[in-house]
Amino acid sequence: MTSNRSPIRESVTTIGRDGERRFLQPAIVVGAWWRARRLVAWLLIAFFALLPWIEVGGFPAVFLDVEHRRFHLLGATLGLGDVWLLFFVITGWGFLIYATTALLGRIWCGWSCPQTVYLEHVFRVVDRLFEGDHVSRAKLDAEPWSRPAKFLRRGGRALAYLVLCWAVAHIFLAYFISIPGLYPMVTAAPQAHPAAFVAMAVATGGLFFNFWWFREQLCLIICPYGRLQSALIDDDSVIVGYDEKRGEPRGKAAPGIPAGDCVDCRRCVQVCPTGIDIRQGLQLECVACTACVDACDDVMSRLKRPTGLVRYASLRELAGGRTRFLRPRTILYSALLTVGLIVATVSLLRVQPAGFKLSRPPQAELYVVSADSVANVFRAKIQNKGEVPRRFFVEAEASPTKVSVLNQSAGLVIAPQAEVTLPLTLLVDRRDYRGEFSFTLRLRSDDGKVSVPQKAHFIGPAPAPPAR
Amino acid sequence: MKKDDDQPAIMPHAYDGIQEYDQSLPNWWLGMLFASIAFAFGYWAYWFHSGVGSDDRVALDAELAALEARQLAAVKDLDEATLWRMSRNPATVAEGQAVYASLCFSCHGPTMAGIKGVGFRLNDDLWVHGNTGMAVFRNINEGVVFDGKPTGMASQKALGTGRLAAVTAYLLSFQKEGQMKAIERAKEPSQLPP
Repeated sequence: MTSNRSPIRESVTTIGRDGERRFLQPAIVVGAWWRARRLVAWLLIAFFALLPWIEVGGFPAVFLDVEHRRFHLLGATLGLGDVWLLFFVITGWGFLIYATTALLGRIWCGWSCPQTVYLEHVFRVVDRLFEGDHVSRAKLDAEPWSRPAKFLRRGGRALAYLVLCWAVAHIFLAYFISIPGLYPMVTAAPQAHPAAFVAMAVATGGLFFNFWWFREQLCLIICPYGRLQSALIDDDSVIVGYDEKRGEPRGKAAPGIPAGDCVDCRRCVQVCPTGIDIRQGLQLECVACTACVDACDDVMSRLKRPTGLVRYASLRELAGGRTRFLRPRTILYSALLTVGLIVATVSLLRVQPAGFKLSRPPQAELYVVSADSVANVFRAKIQNKGEVPRRFFVEAEASPTKVSVLNQSAGLVIAPQAEVTLPLTLLVDRRDYRGEFSFTLRLRSDDGKVSVPQKAHFIGPAPAPPAR
Repeated sequence: MKKDDDQPAIMPHAYDGIQEYDQSLPNWWLGMLFASIAFAFGYWAYWFHSGVGSDDRVALDAELAALEARQLAAVKDLDEATLWRMSRNPATVAEGQAVYASLCFSCHGPTMAGIKGVGFRLNDDLWVHGNTGMAVFRNINEGVVFDGKPTGMASQKALGTGRLAAVTAYLLSFQKEGQMKAIERAKEPSQLPP
């Protein structure tokens, strides 16, 4: 049922006294911030939907091929062995969130979180299309299902939701199986690809439930980010805030009764998608969507009063001070973010399209000594991470003791994404041999794209004492 | 504007002057709690008492035992005659050649001529560690121990019986049945000084 309660700080508006779900029907207010947010939302949706279609280096720009354990990112192909790079994704994401939150509060929630983007700019548009504005939607909520008008309007809306969720689920799935992989699955019968079909159906159902029923509950109760706010922001973070000094006391001025600029029209409460009253101060529920800013600015301009009674401002600014942007935490977060970005970029550029690991074969002699040479046998694991077959060579780098790698002149052709275990026989002439030593083996490819060094230790008998 | 009944009730207790609101958990959250309790009973009954869902470890052991039985059966079924028959089958020999080219060549040389001090010569009819097909198979499968010490010829068991048999067949394809000669290790041509 629709909530008709006035927001209070002590309880969540959308959860009833007995724990029941109370739906909001917020009004939509068109303003400068709303226009800017809608533009950003459309760009983000377009970006999300188009990314799987864009090809870079023969593969989709982002293709997380979980099935084959390869991850194509903007032309680079990463294998399971490169998963350690995820460290930078996770820490980078963390520091980005920390830095932006310390500076600009919950700008992520209001402008770019998929939950907000799709809910505010897709699904609420559908709501309006099928069920009218917030007044008629609330009226429809109260009507019994026996009325065909409600059944048709709400049924139509549900159908539109399903189609949209189905589309979003497919785009989401395309990130994991690519558009060329998705198309034959879409055109084939569901039982031909049961796992993908179930994944798609579950994603569609989950999205439908989320946008139809769950909505702001996700932000209020499930999302950990909102819960971290008290740790992430301080008095200088820019938040959506109400200028209490200017607004209070609210209401009409009368002779002898002074009044602030707030006329207590409650428009800011009407438009709030999470059901709070922004005039009660900074609250956990606020996703900084700026709907109340647009609403209040609209009212203030009509009253020919200056706008900005509710605006982007820090708590310090609202108290009459000046926002400080350069603070220990903003400097620290930005510095860590920059360091992380640099290290991540260097690491990503250094990722080799091949893997090269050395070991000793088990249950074998460590070395073999013959009349004119000392031999060591290694086992090399060579992985071609690339998309084309490559011919690989293993060679010993120049060292004080000359090492020859046997039977490597022809090289070895390895298929794309294949791994081969190759025995390597290394010989050292007995005249050169002066005891055990370390040297470097290098894996190269004929196209010159691979050059991976690997340290090795040559084992042999203690050297003979020098001849007198 | 605010109605009094909007304020949440306060619990009757107070500790150190701290009072507590009496608020309800959202029903969907409570529902999840009850659903997981119900799920736990179902899980427990299915995996531990129904006999339908078996333990992962039991399933893994059964799978491994079956795999080992298959491998053992394959090795046991393998005999001299089968190996020689395989050595005259072009498909098997080709498979064996691929194994040789990826593995054995590094010690025994690309032309099977052996490498001095490293690998025996294999393209002649002289055999040091057994002069039968089965002996060759066993040497590749288990590795060669000489004089109580492991040699450079390590066990290649990881290849699996199929490829082990194939590479044996490849070696036998250069031999004639019954004409493999046994020699002493010291007389193996690839190990003799020039």
